[in-house]
Amino acid sequence: MRKMSITLMLACFLLTGVASTQTESAPPATEVKIGDIAPDFTLVDQNGKPRSLHDYKGKKNVVLAFYVWAFSSD
Amino acid sequence: MRNFQQNLAKLEAADTQVLGVSMDNPFANKVFADQNGVTFPLLSDIGGKVIRQYGIYKEYDQFHTKIPAARRATYLIDTNGKVVEMQVDADAVDPTKTVRACERRKLTR
Repeated sequence: MRKMSITLMLACFLLTGVASTQTESAPPATEVKIGDIAPDFTLVDQNGKPRSLHDYKGKKNVVLAFYVWAFSSD
Repeated sequence: MRNFQQNLAKLEAADTQVLGVSMDNPFANKVFADQNGVTFPLLSDIGGKVIRQYGIYKEYDQFHTKIPAARRATYLIDTNGKVVEMQVDADAVDPTKTVRACERRKLTR
């Protein structure tokens, strides 16, 4: 009986593991949609200067262009 | 990013700041910018915190290894900080739509 419950627990544990792996590999949906407030951030540019999204608020439109990696073709 | 550089004058004329974002380090971005004549900021999201926040984090299979990076995506954010246009993946490569949207916003002001 004890052995069976341990096996059962182990099975549950493994299944949970499989389930969580599946959620991670599901095609990612975009979190930010049209109409949402864009999440603020501060990141460093190619010259080491920090840039924040809020720097442009009330002043300019911002085009955020995410790219896969530097030296990608386009 | 060269597509955006080619349209930079039009975008700037429409009061628009272009910001490139990737998971590259600033040194790689510096070389990339210099080699391609990119004059707008290229931001380093090392670790991908912002990329995850926007929901465009992806692992690419390269040389039998999974390499984490951003999906190609363009967001147009207005002066109130609101997302007014967006394109993801293949749609995000050509900036024409974004340029037109910026020019329309300029005209309506």
